[in-house]
This record gives sequence, C-alpha cells and structure tokens, in this order.
Amino acid sequence: MQHHQSILPDEDLASMILCDLKRVVREYATAATESTCPQIRKLFTDLTNSTLTMQGQLFTAMQQQQMYNTSSPALRQEIDKQGKEYDQTLQKTNQFVQQKLSGMARQPMYYGSQPQFQQPQQSQQTPTYYS
Amino acid sequence: MPQPITAKELEYIADSMSNEDLLLKQNAVLASSSSNPALSQLAQQFIQTHQQHYQTLLQTLHQQSGIAPTQPQG
Repeated sequence: MQHHQSILPDEDLASMILCDLKRVVREYATAATESTCPQIRKLFTDLTNSTLTMQGQLFTAMQQQQMYNTSSPALRQEIDKQGKEYDQTLQKTNQFVQQKLSGMARQPMYYGSQPQFQQPQQSQQTPTYYS
Repeated sequence: MPQPITAKELEYIADSMSNEDLLLKQNAVLASSSSNPALSQLAQQFIQTHQQHYQTLLQTLHQQSGIAPTQPQG
C-alpha cells in the first residue's frame, strides 16, 4: 500500500482513535442500560463488547510500538494501605448485613392471607451468613 | 412480535451510527497514512468491524420502521 502523508503523526491519530473507542464503549454501555426493548438491549450489549475488544487490540498494538506510557507501578505500601482499609470495610459491612438479616428473622413478617410464607421457628434462626 | 423502540433508543441508535461513521473515517486515514504495518493492518481490520456495526444499526432501524406507530401514543 502506498503511504500518504497524514496531517497528523501516526501516534496522534492512533491516540485519537483509542480515545474515541473508549468514549464509544461508554456510550454503548449507557445505551444498553437505558434500553427498554430486550432486542435493543442485546444490540447495544453486543456492540459494547465488540468495541471493547477493538479498544483492547489498539491499546496493545500501541503499547508494543512504544506509543503508550502506562503509569508507574503502585508501591507495595500503598497497596497494603488500601488492602487493610478495605478489609475493615468488608468486616463492618458483613456485620451490618448479618444484623439486618437476623433482624428479619426475629420480626415475624405478615404476608396477609398466605400462611405458607410464615417464618419458621424463631429459635432455630441462627444466621450463618458471612461467618 | 418485537415491541417498537422508544424515542430514546432511536436517539442512541442515530448517535451510534454517527460514532461508527467517524471511527470508520479515522481508521481509513490511519490505514492509508501509517508507515507502521501493525497499525495499518489493525486499522484495515477496524474499518470492516465499524462497517458491520453500522450495518447492524441501520438494519435495526429499518426493521423497527415497520412496527413503529405513525401517531404519537398517549
């Protein structure tokens, strides 16, 4: 193929396309979540996946051509700090969920005239979630 | 029987075709101007995929036209 001089260097043009692919992935994902018809939702879901694949391919190609500088590696102490913090968050959330679920078991719920939905014996309710 | 698309979905489909059109042209420029074989080949491959996306969107629009109401629905 004969190469014609572009107005932009390869690198800039590829960056522009990568940027637009990222934007279009987001737009397709948004369109999928806001679709009413199942057929249209599937259309936008498929287009999201296809565009995401292209974005990944272009990124890899640019990285191989040394056109893309990824940000510096995260430091171990920063990783550990975040890990510790979110370990605590997870524990608190698990406690919260357990409280809510055990509260549900203690308070009998009334489902009107549908006795089949009555809670079983309260004494037997020992929630084992997240233990 | 498929249900008719909403006005919002129509907007998204139209915007999507506009996006695909833009990417098609950008990749055509990259494919023709790049001195890098890897990028040029990828751009040519992308042209085909964007053409397929565009066709799929356009076909959906044509299919939907047949079942769409002609009067505003209450």
